[in-house]
Amino acid sequence: MAKLWAIIKREYLERVRSKWFLIATFFGPIFFSAIIIVPAWLASKSKATTDVYNTTILDATSTGFGHRLAVNIAVDTTVPGRMPTVKVVAPSELTQAESLATREVMQKKKSGYLVVDQQTIAGESARYAGSNATSIADMTQIKSAIRQTILASRLQNVGLDDAKLKQITFIPLDFSTERITERGRAGSGMASVLFGFAIGFLLYLSIVIDGQTIMSGVLEEKTTRVAEVVMSSVPTDTLLAGKVLGVGAVGLTQQILWIATTYILLKLRAPIMAKLGAPAMNFSLPDITLGAGVLFLLFFLLGFIFYSSLYAAVGSSVNSESEARQAASPLMIMIVSTGVFIQPVLLNPTGTTARVLSLIPISSPIIMPIRMAVTGVPVLEMAASLGFLVIGCVAALWLASRIYRVGLLMYGKRPTMKEMARWVSYAR
Amino acid sequence: MLPPRSYMTEYAIDIVNVTKRYADHTAVRDLTLRVPTGSVYGLLGPNGAGKTTTIRMILNIIAPDSGKIHIFGRPSNDPKITERLGYLPEERGLYRKMQVRRVLKFLAELKGVRGKDADRRIDEWLERLSLKTPEKDWGLSKIDELSRGMQQKVQFIGTLLHDPDLVILDEPFSGLDPINSQALKDTVVELKKRGKTVIFSTHLMDNAERLCDSVCIIARGEKVLDGTVTSVKEEHGQRNIALALEGDGLSGVAAILRDNALVKRADDSNRFFEIEMAPGADPQALLRRIVESGAAVQRFEMIQPSLHQIFLQKVGATGVEEGMTGHG
Repeated sequence: MAKLWAIIKREYLERVRSKWFLIATFFGPIFFSAIIIVPAWLASKSKATTDVYNTTILDATSTGFGHRLAVNIAVDTTVPGRMPTVKVVAPSELTQAESLATREVMQKKKSGYLVVDQQTIAGESARYAGSNATSIADMTQIKSAIRQTILASRLQNVGLDDAKLKQITFIPLDFSTERITERGRAGSGMASVLFGFAIGFLLYLSIVIDGQTIMSGVLEEKTTRVAEVVMSSVPTDTLLAGKVLGVGAVGLTQQILWIATTYILLKLRAPIMAKLGAPAMNFSLPDITLGAGVLFLLFFLLGFIFYSSLYAAVGSSVNSESEARQAASPLMIMIVSTGVFIQPVLLNPTGTTARVLSLIPISSPIIMPIRMAVTGVPVLEMAASLGFLVIGCVAALWLASRIYRVGLLMYGKRPTMKEMARWVSYAR
Repeated sequence: MLPPRSYMTEYAIDIVNVTKRYADHTAVRDLTLRVPTGSVYGLLGPNGAGKTTTIRMILNIIAPDSGKIHIFGRPSNDPKITERLGYLPEERGLYRKMQVRRVLKFLAELKGVRGKDADRRIDEWLERLSLKTPEKDWGLSKIDELSRGMQQKVQFIGTLLHDPDLVILDEPFSGLDPINSQALKDTVVELKKRGKTVIFSTHLMDNAERLCDSVCIIARGEKVLDGTVTSVKEEHGQRNIALALEGDGLSGVAAILRDNALVKRADDSNRFFEIEMAPGADPQALLRRIVESGAAVQRFEMIQPSLHQIFLQKVGATGVEEGMTGHG
């Protein structure tokens, strides 16, 4: 046990001390908060920006329409600087005023200008030109402000007073969405999909990175012959177990650090969002029960054991990095093809594809946690998935330990599949 | 826990009828050999003879298909035994990106030496091999910052740190610079003085002849001969003749040496010859003929054959079978 511990400790400490670990640990939370903040920020983009306030209204109606429109664009006139500038111009001077306004936009003094005239009052047309002309949200806000002003003018014409007018036309609609699953309400729909994606991506990334790490670690021990020294001190199975556990512990540490820092970043999200000029949003992570947490962990560990033991076997059977990359391609195909299914499963977590993939040990460590994040999984399916995965792990470990102990001592040309099959049959 | 040090048997290694087969060849066939405790033992053989396979079986890295191996009287798969063994593999390397001290600590832990005890031993060894001086402590550097020679020193330390009773060195002299080569020889002598057993494999007969008490020559996976260096020479070498010549007249001598009635074989090093007499031939007759040929004889001496000669005689130049591992 003390020797197993020595191997685990070495694997763990050497990896945690490496630059790559530090980089990944920093990069991870940035990536995950980006996943969470960027959509929220993009969503806030669907609300109009402050650009709409920094505009000029060229009013050629001579009815004061421009001023009423400016109030409607500002929505809240108590906030300073939110009122667009209004310039009342005679229709004959419009061309000149427009070229002046264009220059202001070009000099970035204003973001755009809006021309309103008799046809606008008639509800026929209005013109806008500006640097934010492609912003759907800005244009929508201006358009609806124009409609509102026209509507108000018409209502006024039929004799409604100002108070009534405000009462009728003021509609501060806040539209929120929530998705419902078999388990009931599941928090914000967007959040649970993002969460599922984050879980899937995290597992996918861990398995790929840690698998490669184990593979090149084994290869290094083989090519430097350290493996022989270690094998003269401990049984190969202990060495393999120590490696898988050590690197697994690194993966776990990294995930815990990622989750913790992401959590902290989420707590700090409101101030960050405020800095980005976006209003705070209702955003709640889906409730994760302790049981679900343990299951996530279990899937990570089992999936990790499944893939990393196979990666170790590959590392032991080859003699150089380039051979290793080639020999590992079947494993890579297994993982990447699972990765391809992350999105379809997120979109249809109860479909046949999702259910089948969450039973196969090759894909279940990634697919099942995603399904768990976005939908309810029947107990029977969960049990079957775990059962198959455990069987898969035992098989992978058995196969790997047999290839490993022979492969580590075989130098020279890369073995064929037939030779590797023969290694498996060797007693020791 | 180490077994008590007093637990010493007559033989450090006792190999009985061991065979190891691979798919397409037999690496070791029915090998029996005993290494006396406290001796320096040479395992000699051409590349592919089965040396590395034998060593790996002694170390319990691989198991024999049949036969028994005992180390200090215990089966070689006894986990307690591994802590009394020190092993230096043939082609050497260490974790390149790891700090020297940490590598050594790891290797010590694998042999059951832990904590402060390990640190103390590491310091002693680093200082002894001048890897730690008042100016520079290489122990804090990464392995790949060290020169090749320094890396070899670190590897020695790793092999000997836990003060093993049996030290196994696979082709220890290959790739060593002259200074480290000498340091290794000194270390082997010192280990023997301290009652340790050293077994090493080599195909360099000169080193083996100078260092070993006993040797075993194996070829094609089988033992060719074994015993103390003295007894091997007495039993297997006919008395040989060392001949050194001066000046010209070499061509006449060459003709004499080709006479099969007189000379069985001659190892020609231009001016120096090691001559094995034909069965029943008289060395005095040979001397007479050489003198008659007009050659100036500088040295004519009856000598014991070198291990090199015995090796060539017993194994020949064809004693190589392709090993599955490419060496050993």
